[in-house]
Amino acid sequence: MSYREKENIINILSGLLITLIYGWVVLQRHLEGTIDLTTDYKTWGSVFLIFILVSIVARIIIYIIFHIINAIATREQRIPAEDERDKLIKLKATRNSHYIFSSGFVMSVMALAFGMPVYMIFIAFIIVGLISEIVDNGSQIYYYRKGV
Amino acid sequence: MGKSQIKNNIRRLRFNADEMTQQQLADAVGASRQTIIAIEKGNYSPSLELAFRIAHTFSTPLEEVFLYEHIEIIKKKK
Repeated sequence: MSYREKENIINILSGLLITLIYGWVVLQRHLEGTIDLTTDYKTWGSVFLIFILVSIVARIIIYIIFHIINAIATREQRIPAEDERDKLIKLKATRNSHYIFSSGFVMSVMALAFGMPVYMIFIAFIIVGLISEIVDNGSQIYYYRKGV
Repeated sequence: MGKSQIKNNIRRLRFNADEMTQQQLADAVGASRQTIIAIEKGNYSPSLELAFRIAHTFSTPLEEVFLYEHIEIIKKKK
């Protein structure tokens, strides 16, 4: 398995892990009554901003750990430089990811129009964001294996 | 995606160039080893620039490295 494939698998797993843990923590705080996610939309803003920060910090830590383990296991110190094929694969994967996110966004807005509570759209954004990220990294793995 | 109609002689040219490794070729043309493997297998058609760089590394014309297999698609008229 190439470095890029391993990197994408780590991205999928870390995305799932961070979202699930953060989602569980936020849900617990909501159930305890510390925050109210059904009517207070200002809290949703904070939840999203903190999620972005937590996600960045956690990913940096996970990426450093992955690089150290990979360097020990493969004895390859340097990260392979990105070439034209890597860039093309990334572009196609980003396109697929945007298709998913756009579809999810439209479906969320449609659900809102059909009477779904507003807070559900925020939950839908998190789920769609996670799915689109999985599609992005999954597409990259697919293109690396099957060709582009 | 998948196998392209562009075939190549990179494997043979590497062998003739003192059994050059895929990594050596990758370093010479500024691509990754994975990209060279994908090109050799026909899973990736390189850009014109990379194709010229590969040809230049072997000091051969481009058409000796890459070949285009023209496949006629016959559409049956009903």
